[in-house]
Amino acid sequence: MNDYLVQLAKKPIFKTMIEKMGLPKLPPALKRSTHPWEQRPFDDQNVMIGQMGSTQLTKTLAEIMVKGGAIPYVEKEEPVFNVFYQAGDAYGRKAQVLKQQKRPSAQLLIYDATNMNIPEELNRIFSFFYDHIRSLDSCGRLIILSRPPCDAENVLSATTTRALEGFIRAMAREIGFMGATANIVYVHSNADYLLEPALRFFLSKRSAYITGQPIYINSLVKTDKIFPDTRPLDGKTALITGAAQGIGAAIARSIAREGARVIIMDRPEADVSAGKLASEIDGSLFFCDISSSSADDRMADWVTKRFGGLDIVVHNAGITRDKLLVNMKQEQWEQVLDVNLYAILRLNEKLIPMMRNNGRMVYLSSVSGIAGNRGQTNYSTSKAGIIGYVSAMSKELADKGIAVNAVAPGFIETQMTARIPFATQLVARRLNNLNQGGLPEDVAETVTFLSSPGAAGLTGQVIRVCGGALIGA
Amino acid sequence: MKSTKQRTAVVIGGVRTPFLRAFGDFTPLGTIDLGVSAIKGLFKRFPIAWKEIDSMIWSGVVLPGATVNIGREILFDLGLPMTIDAYTITRVCTSSLKAITLAADAIERGEADVIIAGGSDSTSNAEVTMPQSLVHKFAPVVLNPKSGVKDYFRVLTTLNPVKDLIPQQPAIRERITGELMGESAEKMAARNQISRDAQDKFALQSHQRAAKAIATGRFDSEIAPVELSEKKAVHADNIVRGNTSLEKLGKLKPAFAKNGTLTAGNSSTLTDGAAAVLMMEFEKAKSLGLTPLATFRAWSYDAVDPTDQLLIGPALSMPRALKKAGMTPKDIDLIDIHEAFAAQVLSVLKMLASDQFARDRLGFDKAFGFVDPREINVHGGSVALGHPFAATGARMVSTMANELKFSGKATALLGICGAGALSAAAVMEAV
Repeated sequence: MNDYLVQLAKKPIFKTMIEKMGLPKLPPALKRSTHPWEQRPFDDQNVMIGQMGSTQLTKTLAEIMVKGGAIPYVEKEEPVFNVFYQAGDAYGRKAQVLKQQKRPSAQLLIYDATNMNIPEELNRIFSFFYDHIRSLDSCGRLIILSRPPCDAENVLSATTTRALEGFIRAMAREIGFMGATANIVYVHSNADYLLEPALRFFLSKRSAYITGQPIYINSLVKTDKIFPDTRPLDGKTALITGAAQGIGAAIARSIAREGARVIIMDRPEADVSAGKLASEIDGSLFFCDISSSSADDRMADWVTKRFGGLDIVVHNAGITRDKLLVNMKQEQWEQVLDVNLYAILRLNEKLIPMMRNNGRMVYLSSVSGIAGNRGQTNYSTSKAGIIGYVSAMSKELADKGIAVNAVAPGFIETQMTARIPFATQLVARRLNNLNQGGLPEDVAETVTFLSSPGAAGLTGQVIRVCGGALIGA
Repeated sequence: MKSTKQRTAVVIGGVRTPFLRAFGDFTPLGTIDLGVSAIKGLFKRFPIAWKEIDSMIWSGVVLPGATVNIGREILFDLGLPMTIDAYTITRVCTSSLKAITLAADAIERGEADVIIAGGSDSTSNAEVTMPQSLVHKFAPVVLNPKSGVKDYFRVLTTLNPVKDLIPQQPAIRERITGELMGESAEKMAARNQISRDAQDKFALQSHQRAAKAIATGRFDSEIAPVELSEKKAVHADNIVRGNTSLEKLGKLKPAFAKNGTLTAGNSSTLTDGAAAVLMMEFEKAKSLGLTPLATFRAWSYDAVDPTDQLLIGPALSMPRALKKAGMTPKDIDLIDIHEAFAAQVLSVLKMLASDQFARDRLGFDKAFGFVDPREINVHGGSVALGHPFAATGARMVSTMANELKFSGKATALLGICGAGALSAAAVMEAV
């Protein structure tokens, strides 16, 4: 399951050899973080900030950065510089002047474009990134903040804000070779208070495999505005389906690590691996086949008796039965749709009433569901269905304070992808900006973020964890 | 003991040994001996009947491994009645302030009327331990009654001369970050933009004030000489350099980082010493004919993240203690801040003046306010006097208690930072 090219790149001899031979660069090992959420996710990192004068977000952004431990570099432009300088006072992170010459290397590049409304102003984006993109470290983060195009007051503004997404998608492809990512965060004007938890995730090492996509932050979901920086899931109960191995197990570990009690739900056949995991994370076990019709009633009874309710549900269980449609048997079609889609609808009838306030539901979709994949008509259908379900369901549950999101993994190094024919694997793994497959932990960290109170700003969205796959949205 | 009425704990006075640079004349004395010397001095100054003493709360940072409860040992060595309770606490550099406020607590709760509190440290006698791997290799053979000469030889052949035989050097390194405290303070100086010049100026002030206090006899009532032998006694501190100057301090090389700003001149040094304070219930003091100097109006013990700014804690503790006392900065006449490093004191002062800091870190509306570095530490501090970890808090309490009496002022605010990012502050009030 290991990416041999990434392993090779870790050895300096091979790296220099390959560079000398003039071969393409080896994909760098991504910097990741799998220990518990920390107080200062950007500790001692340099962040370069670009903006056109001060915006509504300047103060919020300054406070987020210095509280997270970053050292801001800001162009000496009053009053923006002063805002950053003052915010840094409380944390000993005084803003530095960003000079044209003698630039330090930066782990984070942020452009706050929330006041950008005229297409001509896009030139500012070019000049800022032209000046500073060379300073970006390997595995750095580049983020543009903007107001969403759907909120735009006029045509010009909609054009401008949407154009930024195109810039980011292209930028992500350009900086991917060094493990760096680029994303755009669209913040609705009434959701500024929800920006902090989101940025703390999307700027951290935990989002290593998320690149080239828009993230929308809105205030649809009701929230009590209490967003813990550390141990975000303390006291919560989480149900994870298909948690015995692979991505599910990684999700269970990471959710348990942040303080939640985890219910590991899987088929009875997976009892050995599920048992090991349960003892490792002190979780509870519930065995059932989710395609059986009695599963939902049994599960509902058991959960109500033991836990009284649920805060987090992760629908992760899924199967593949790959065949070209012309060769596909009916039960192969039915099995996949039943486990991946129908079972979720059935279970949810019982699960949703059990959800407590500030609940979080996360569904595992797939890049196959977005882009389609040869030999996966059944799988792509089911995973695309999830996307439709999530977007509709999010509106229904917003008033209950429940956020509903999907995560769409691309090529992740698991047992499931190890079964793909070797040659296909070799190619599939490289078909993204970062030139490598992701790890189950990348998906798990994203799911954990979406399960946290601070993810209240995101609902009805599909977050791709695909390294910026060359196919798909 | 009366507990029906409102009880008030008061400071009667404090006495300390001279503070000497480590590996000087005090090297033969352990932390227990130093504690004994300080308390002997205390008894000489306040001759109370031993039967009046209810308890002793001692503190230490570098504790001898075999006898951790040094308070009890000091009591034995003094020849005090063995029926007096004695225990030892450790809370890094804030240790003896904690011991003193614990005593105040116990007195005001009615548990005791008279308590001796304080602390001692002998950095010269920090234990040098053999590597744990050596212990683990030898223990099974030594503890097994059946092992013979052969077994000992077998263990000897397995020893690794580097890993097993080189003793572990003690150092004030943070266990969690692996940084020397000076390295952490160096980072704070950079992050809070404290210049070398400002640090040296502050260090110079500390030395000059301490030297003046010694020359004018201000410390005489607070220091008890320590007899080393029949012929030799130590009477005075030996770290203070009244003749230093900005030029001399400016020539020193950075001690913790290349291009750093912290030097041996603007940091406190490893020191041996002890300090003790006599705490009593107010009525009890009157009945014994003693004049109380001060009470504690409030205190605050806090902790921050050691991986961030290790020694910034007093910037939180001082405003909090003040708030608990129901006072405003205007009500404070004297401020005494422990000087681990000049850079740390100046960082704390900077944060005390920051509204942003008060809002974000304390949840207060307004900052404590601007404090001129020239207004604090009227008789110098640890940079000049030295810093025997657990004695510093008691030294500050006795100096401030006396200062309130001598100057006729009403209140004093104390602030101390410590390893592990702990901090403490206390508000003292003249009686």
